[in-house]
Amino acid sequence: MLKYLRRIIAVLSIITLTLLFVDFTGTVAVHWAWLAKIQLVPALLAVNALAVVFLVVLTLIFGRLYCSVICPMGIFQDVVERFRHWFVPKKKKKLGLYRFEPERRVWRYTLLGLFVVLLIVGHLGLIATSLAGILDPYSAYGRIAGQFFVALWRSGALAVAETAASKGTYILAGYPPQWYFSLGVTIVAAITALIVMVMAWRTGRGYCNTICPVGTLLGLLSRYSLLKPVIDTDKCNRCGSCGRKCKAKCIDTKNHVIDYSRCVVCFDCINNCSQGAISYKIRRSEKHADAPATDPTGRRNFIIGTAVVAGTLAAKAGGKTGDGGFAPLKSKKTVPGTVHPVPAGAISIKHLRSHCTACQLCISECPNQVLRPSASFEAFMQPEMVFNSGYCHTDCNRCAEICPAGAIKPIDLTVKAVTKIGTAVVDPDICLSASQGVSCGSCSRYCPAEAIQMVETAEGTLRPVVDEVACIGCGSCEFHCPVGTVESTASNYPAIHVNAVGNHRQI
Amino acid sequence: MDDKKKVQDISRRRFLRNIGVLGGAAALASCGANVTADDAEGRKSKRGTGEMTYRTNPNTGDTVSILGYGCMRLPTKKVDGDDVLDQETINELIDHALEHGVNYFDTSPAYCRGKSEEAVGIALSRHPRDSYYIATKLSNFGPDTWPRERSIQMFENSLKYLQTDYIDYLLLHAIGMGGMEAFNGRYIDNGILDYLVEQKRNGRIRNLGFSYHGDVAVFNHLLEMMDRGEIHWDFVQIQLNYIDWEHANEGNTDAVYLYGELQKRGIPAVIMEPLLGGRLAKVSKPVTKKMKERRPDDSVASWAFRYAGSPEGVLTVLSGMTYMDHLEDNLATYSPLEVLSEEEHDFLQRMAVEILLNDTIPCTDCKYCMPCPYGVNIPGIFAHYNKCINDDNVPRSSTDPHYAEARRAFLFGYDQSVPRLRQADRCIACGECLKECPQLIPIPERMAQISAYATQLRDNTL
Repeated sequence: MLKYLRRIIAVLSIITLTLLFVDFTGTVAVHWAWLAKIQLVPALLAVNALAVVFLVVLTLIFGRLYCSVICPMGIFQDVVERFRHWFVPKKKKKLGLYRFEPERRVWRYTLLGLFVVLLIVGHLGLIATSLAGILDPYSAYGRIAGQFFVALWRSGALAVAETAASKGTYILAGYPPQWYFSLGVTIVAAITALIVMVMAWRTGRGYCNTICPVGTLLGLLSRYSLLKPVIDTDKCNRCGSCGRKCKAKCIDTKNHVIDYSRCVVCFDCINNCSQGAISYKIRRSEKHADAPATDPTGRRNFIIGTAVVAGTLAAKAGGKTGDGGFAPLKSKKTVPGTVHPVPAGAISIKHLRSHCTACQLCISECPNQVLRPSASFEAFMQPEMVFNSGYCHTDCNRCAEICPAGAIKPIDLTVKAVTKIGTAVVDPDICLSASQGVSCGSCSRYCPAEAIQMVETAEGTLRPVVDEVACIGCGSCEFHCPVGTVESTASNYPAIHVNAVGNHRQI
Repeated sequence: MDDKKKVQDISRRRFLRNIGVLGGAAALASCGANVTADDAEGRKSKRGTGEMTYRTNPNTGDTVSILGYGCMRLPTKKVDGDDVLDQETINELIDHALEHGVNYFDTSPAYCRGKSEEAVGIALSRHPRDSYYIATKLSNFGPDTWPRERSIQMFENSLKYLQTDYIDYLLLHAIGMGGMEAFNGRYIDNGILDYLVEQKRNGRIRNLGFSYHGDVAVFNHLLEMMDRGEIHWDFVQIQLNYIDWEHANEGNTDAVYLYGELQKRGIPAVIMEPLLGGRLAKVSKPVTKKMKERRPDDSVASWAFRYAGSPEGVLTVLSGMTYMDHLEDNLATYSPLEVLSEEEHDFLQRMAVEILLNDTIPCTDCKYCMPCPYGVNIPGIFAHYNKCINDDNVPRSSTDPHYAEARRAFLFGYDQSVPRLRQADRCIACGECLKECPQLIPIPERMAQISAYATQLRDNTL
């Protein structure tokens, strides 16, 4: 019974969360953005006390329910594990696919420690917090959804909408932004997906209980949870079925001990026990079987492990420099030395870098195709504004509404319209109007802040000039500039581009 | 406080821009609200409650009714399967008009298959000659009428058909059509202009003017002639209505310019096409609603007539009235004319943009304009826009009943048919295409309108 309840909630939860990423119309986000906001790591970064307290209390009462019904990565593993069942012979399935394994404590705490260190270093602004976000299960799932599911969904939605449109109805027609491809995010997401899927296939919840820092962290609490699956030794006939069917491999049937730090309260054991010997209830106080011991070897391993993993990560990310990943049909090159602006709600570039776990939700949500994951190391996979396919509309604040980690804070549209995130810079040497006398003025015409004027040059041509104070850095000028977008222009760079201001301010 | 002010500044600026560049429906909506407030103050129509408004011709002191009778669309009836002028009804109409103060009748040898002057002559000759002014034209369009004798014959025929020995207002008809070449052929090379000036001196013509369509160079040329003292134009007939004021068709000239040039020289303006061939008598439902909200009892056409009659330099506004109810409605509008307020003028300017946006673009997909050097898919954008207009998928406001689906249809189809970097906002307004378009579509202007509209739809700010 509990198992089916868990399953229903879990399925609804992962579907909604995935929809949050793939739905380009923003409809799902209106009511369900909170599902992202109660994810532990983003909530911690956003100092979302309500969510954190809720999760702590939830875990202290029910155990790691978070891992079975809230965390999309946890549910994703259950889904993969479910598929495995189709491929194993009935006999083996009946016997059970797993057997009890002791906790891999070194791995668990090393990775948790690494995660915490990265998070702290990131929070101090020394590295991008997204490097810690590589290990965050929600953000990792977000990247998988953002790169792979979005592509699937959008092509599917497009096909459906086209069919519907050909029949004369537009009820199903969205206007999906073009799917973007990011090499960095794709590689990270693909590796994560591969590891998670292989581990889920082979070890059930092995990822959650060995690698995932959130799992380890919640495990510290769930040991002491109020409600737990408890084995009634009087009823137990030592068949061992529960242990062999436990995805978390945490039931030591020989000793009648369950490792509650790894139990993700899936309730499978309760269902499987033919004797009804396992029940989910308040466990009477007893001496903890495996109290966390502090052994010196563990600590040493932890430090070494941290150094090794950190080094690997640094090396991997360091290899990806330059403008990687975006290859639209005709792509302007980024003017060398440009710092891309970040959305108005981010307060400052530093704030975004120290809070964003690179879950890609804002990027998936952005209806104007302007947010893109960065390929640079210092902002790895974090959103930044690239004005090749669009610009930041003053009437939109969807990224700020949706960001669960508080990296982009909610911002009122009227405030956004006057928040300066960057300044446009003109290159008159390649400007069609200034250098060739072409009647253009697109930058000026489309500037929502009316910060660009066309003035006469000494040669008698018109060149755009930017009122640096009025310019908010929305990128409309850069997007609309024909230079670098049309083949006939010699330059590969736009003649006007936006350079970020580090600290946003109101003009 | 300071920040708040800045915020307001921005939105005001954007608001103004909306009106200026695209006259977006967002702006319309916000203005709608203001208006109701105005109306609540109790602006009541004085329409049709008094005497006809008259304007004075500074050259002759003529007191001319602000409503002029255009005799191009006279009523017809079937006789042996042919449409012939219905003299009886024409008499009734003209009697009724005279009775209610109309005293300016405009005809031409070319109107009603050449039968207009005769019919008007029959109707008017039943009244004292000094109770009305007759305007007719030297309509020597065809090169076969360019020879001096043929043109003079045409003038003499006008006098004969109109049963009079003098014309109050004689116009060189539709100068600008055919450019300078036609103008010289019709009036200069054959000495006809000198002939007409002579007739004016003889008193057979009391006021000499011209009507203008087409090439603005000819319009300018004629005014320059006057500036040089070579001739005096007593009046000029131009096309003026709230569409043509700032949005004249390609091939014509914005009325704001034409009227301004006349004002500079103190030349009275006679207005033709106040209804733009009837288009402004029947407008889209939302525009009708907005007009009715302001003045529930006034006809849609009355707005156009008030617009045309309001400028002080207008001598008379011609309306080709075929039916008695048209005449009565116009009489009501102009008895007396309630001059438009500045705010109403702005309102009609916004309606003009809304009406224009409701029009399909006469693009024939000939692709002469392609390739656009800046990658814009011009025919693709127009095809999509026209399809949406025809399918009624161009919502004017987010309160439109089918807004959500129409919005989806417009944007979805737009992105499907035209890639993002080939859409209207990539137009830099270089004007290269203008040289190529045989339909004379003001392509950059249209691109600006469509891109602004699509942006509003995307942002859901309509």
